[in-house]
Amino acid sequence: MSIEKPLPVPTEDSSPYWEACKKHELRMQRCKACGHFRFPPSVVCPRCTSLEADWEKLSGRGEVYTFIIVHKTYHPAFDSDIPYNVAIVRLEEGPMLHTNVVECRNDDLYIGMPVEVIFQDMNDKISLPKFRPFPV
Amino acid sequence: MSLKDKYAIVGVGLTKFGKIPGTSTMSFALQAIKLAIEDAGLTRDDVDGVLVMSPVMMGEQHGWAGRVAALLEVSTTFTATMELGGATPIGMIQTAAMAIDAGLCNVVVCAFGNQNSPVGIPFIMPNLEFTMPYGDIGAIPFQAHIARRHMHEYGLTSRQLGEIAVTFRRHACLNPEAQTYRKGPITMEDHQNSPMIADPLRLLDCCLNTDGGGAVVVTSAERAKGLRHKPIYIMGMGQSHSAEIMPPWPEKTDHRGGVKAAEIAFRMAGITQKDIDVAQFYDGFTILVITELENFGFCGKGEGGSFIEGDRLGLNSELPSNTAGGLLSEGHLMGMGHVVEAVRQLRGQCEGRQVKDAELCFVNGYGGAPHEYPPTLSYATLILRR
Repeated sequence: MSIEKPLPVPTEDSSPYWEACKKHELRMQRCKACGHFRFPPSVVCPRCTSLEADWEKLSGRGEVYTFIIVHKTYHPAFDSDIPYNVAIVRLEEGPMLHTNVVECRNDDLYIGMPVEVIFQDMNDKISLPKFRPFPV
Repeated sequence: MSLKDKYAIVGVGLTKFGKIPGTSTMSFALQAIKLAIEDAGLTRDDVDGVLVMSPVMMGEQHGWAGRVAALLEVSTTFTATMELGGATPIGMIQTAAMAIDAGLCNVVVCAFGNQNSPVGIPFIMPNLEFTMPYGDIGAIPFQAHIARRHMHEYGLTSRQLGEIAVTFRRHACLNPEAQTYRKGPITMEDHQNSPMIADPLRLLDCCLNTDGGGAVVVTSAERAKGLRHKPIYIMGMGQSHSAEIMPPWPEKTDHRGGVKAAEIAFRMAGITQKDIDVAQFYDGFTILVITELENFGFCGKGEGGSFIEGDRLGLNSELPSNTAGGLLSEGHLMGMGHVVEAVRQLRGQCEGRQVKDAELCFVNGYGGAPHEYPPTLSYATLILRR
């Protein structure tokens, strides 16, 4: 029997992020007062403390800031994926996020690699943003 | 008014530690407190402040420090249950000095205990929605991301990380209490052949898992006179906190947690990094020693890898470090082991691993939630002198 992977449980703060992902859109809060992109989602802008924000669609493009290749898991659901990569991608608009780079061999990954977002539908509620090399 | 030299550590204690099922978190804390009070030459009745680290796995446990005090029948005028991850022991010692300075109490014990497999307390997996779905789980991936980036920017090598692991293991082999004492030394080849956990970090880049407890007694320099051991004075202290890896960290060097924690401590102490005789760096992972050396000003940014080469952290070197073996090879005593070792070095109690004429010791703690979003870390530092 396969063990199911842990999926995000959207919170009061993060629901709009995951709802956008479900529609295959990468959206993050952008501060109405200072324009800063806010991630993780938060009620208050960490730069100017404004409470106002729009959920703005991002380009979905960025580059690999750093990455690791996982050889030992701390959750049995990932055992069959070993060795797998986890990257931190820096988006064009500035925010950074953890992800997996797909459609790419682990050996081909490098810091600075241009990537673009794709979405993996995990169930009828959750789609995970992942990234692939760009241009493909 | 600076607290420099006004407060001192007068008693220390570590319980038996290692893989010790059957002893509760509370039991470790209580045993450690007993040892530290006895080491100070004081009694339970002298203590009026109790600070305890919030247990890692505690369930619904309000007022933990108050319970510790109650179980020792200590009459307290100040307690606090604290949680800064691996920075908690030093955070407690700093808080103790400040509480005494505020006139709230006179003799404070700071303690922690940890049972990794507690009976009757379920483990609840937190909702780490931005990391866990990608298989980025626990503290090791976080440090591995930092190591990869350091290798990219500054040319750090796995062998340089290996040198740290080899050196600290050698120190642990001179410490009969260390978890790896009987395992014996390791070589660079052992390090390079140890399995990858999260590439670029290998098994021997990672700390041990430890059940155990530790405690120290803090009091005023005045009250410290005439006790069993010569007081070890708190010459400087500092803290800083950050969310590393995430913006604005990549652009702003001074946003790094450790920079200000060390700056403040050295300024208070009125000394420089070069004056330090012995150091205890929080070494949950080898890469952490590199970034701490840089952030604390022992070397320049990006120079950590070359700085440690040539046994720079060994017992007979310029900067003998983690002389009991550290988290990597003594045991993960949450950083309390680092403080206890610092005090023992300055007292001259370390026998085969004693650093000759050690007068000044730098110690730091580090911890928080590297797997939360954003990863939030606390640094706490002490400069101690005899």
